[in-house]
Amino acid sequence: MSSKEVYLDSCKTSRLAPEVLDAMMPYLTDKYWYPGSFTSIGTEIAEVIENSQEIVAKSLNAKPEEITFTSGGTDANNIAIQGILQANKEKGRHFICSTISHPSVLAVFQGLEKQGFEGTYISANRDGYLNLEELKAAIRPDTILAAFTHINHILGTIQDSNAIRDILDQADHKIYLFMDSCESYTKIPINVEESGIDSLSISVHKFNGPKGMGLLYVKNGTKIAPTQFGIVRLYKLKPGAINVPGIVGTAKAVEMAFSDFDKQIERYRDLQTLLYDEIIKRIPDTILNGPPIGERSPAHLNVTFRFIEGEAIMMMLDFDNIHVETGSACSSQNLQPNYILMNTGRTHEESHGSVRFTLDRFVTKEDILKTVDALEKTAKELRRRSPLGKKEQ
Amino acid sequence: MAIKYSELVIEHFKNPHNVGTIDKADASATEGSPACGDQLTVYLKVNPETQVIEDIKFQSYGCASNIVTASIITDLALGKTLEKAKAISWKQAADELGGLPPVKMHCSVLAVDALRSAIKDWEHKHLGTQIEQNITKKNLVKELQKVIYGKVGVDIVSLKLLKYIGIDEKKNVLIELAVSKDDPFIEDLKNEINERMEKFPDVASVKISLV
Repeated sequence: MSSKEVYLDSCKTSRLAPEVLDAMMPYLTDKYWYPGSFTSIGTEIAEVIENSQEIVAKSLNAKPEEITFTSGGTDANNIAIQGILQANKEKGRHFICSTISHPSVLAVFQGLEKQGFEGTYISANRDGYLNLEELKAAIRPDTILAAFTHINHILGTIQDSNAIRDILDQADHKIYLFMDSCESYTKIPINVEESGIDSLSISVHKFNGPKGMGLLYVKNGTKIAPTQFGIVRLYKLKPGAINVPGIVGTAKAVEMAFSDFDKQIERYRDLQTLLYDEIIKRIPDTILNGPPIGERSPAHLNVTFRFIEGEAIMMMLDFDNIHVETGSACSSQNLQPNYILMNTGRTHEESHGSVRFTLDRFVTKEDILKTVDALEKTAKELRRRSPLGKKEQ
Repeated sequence: MAIKYSELVIEHFKNPHNVGTIDKADASATEGSPACGDQLTVYLKVNPETQVIEDIKFQSYGCASNIVTASIITDLALGKTLEKAKAISWKQAADELGGLPPVKMHCSVLAVDALRSAIKDWEHKHLGTQIEQNITKKNLVKELQKVIYGKVGVDIVSLKLLKYIGIDEKKNVLIELAVSKDDPFIEDLKNEINERMEKFPDVASVKISLV
């Protein structure tokens, strides 16, 4: 593959920004020390970590002590969900989740169900918005936690955390709200003081930061028990070795994302609009999956190309060094269509030809135009091979 | 382990052979359906004297494996007599392609199935052969030999995952599978089995139990 890579899959992972690598490099080499008191090397690292924590806290309007650096989004999900449920199990063992949550969150709940916790899974409509009437009906006297995906990774739907909070507050006891914000952080503004969120998880490698790093926000006053045990050097919820280069790299990626936040969002919107407009202008028989442009995540597009299959589209684009994701059953490990598309009332056929495009700070206008050229060529060729849609075309 | 395609698979995917339809085809058949994923249609032109396949074309609504297995199967069948074409197996097609990942073996089965159904269609139209749809254990098992367990890429009969098949007097089919209920392929197996049993219009219901 000689042509320049086009990578439209930030929802899976993303390129490490060179500035982030530069920031990390001293801590991978000469400054390999651990934080400590009184010594020059120990205090230097302690200050670097404090500074990193402040940068992250500021991006969420949180307090530095409410932030824990974790080893990824899954780690943060586990610490928060298990920790809140375990700490409050004397009061109740019921949680509320949704049928379209991220698999990593669903897996935590499946594990907890085996330990005697009980869940209610609320549904979502065709565009991926949670059914809030169901949420209202799901609340019980023993409900401890509600956990939802802030921006759905398949549909790009943004859930209104304040609307969820209002419903949870109708209960006569405290119900914690956890948001899996892995897809929303750096793509929409999050102000924890105003969003009604008690805890949220963030995955750093999805916004050009290092892999193996996550962020956990837990509001002061939240009753949460540790789920991991070891030497507590920095955080009671995350004992063990401290990934200093990862923390520094995370802070740098956060700083970059928020130094020009509004500009980046506007850029994502422009690229997303260009991609969608060009697709519908040049390729017939497409279906938009998820909410309309303008309402959905600015960095996310999911389109079904009718009469053809997503893995074939993905492979054809791969030949042109363009990288996307599909919800096709053919591309899944167990040959099942994407459960989020199916759980929002879409057909197997809609899932079969679905392609997801997600943006990050490195995607350019040229990348989008190159992608549409390749998509147009691919759709034409695969439709030539397909027995379907001949009359409609 | 990384799952990847052989170079030959990639070559057939980039430039598949025998794509298209045949004007006034002598016979054709479609297997699979958009409701359950892939779909493949095979068209035949057969010399009525020699019963040699003189032209063969396909159209695929499916993934790369679906397209390439159709490409190779049509290559293998072209110029052969119907009898010889019927003998082409899905293992042979996969071998010709330099192998397929286990999770993709079912595509090869679909391709062979479409070819054999198109041949049956020709025999039905030109020789008056009845298409056998009698509900006998033997016929049902023959269909279940086409259900591939995606974890290893082999059919459920050869793997002895099919523990029992019974037909009651009301034509309800009872199937017992030796698969754990946590198996990631369970939904796929159930879908495939139900789809296979739909080929027998007289079957009243299909009940699958895990043992």
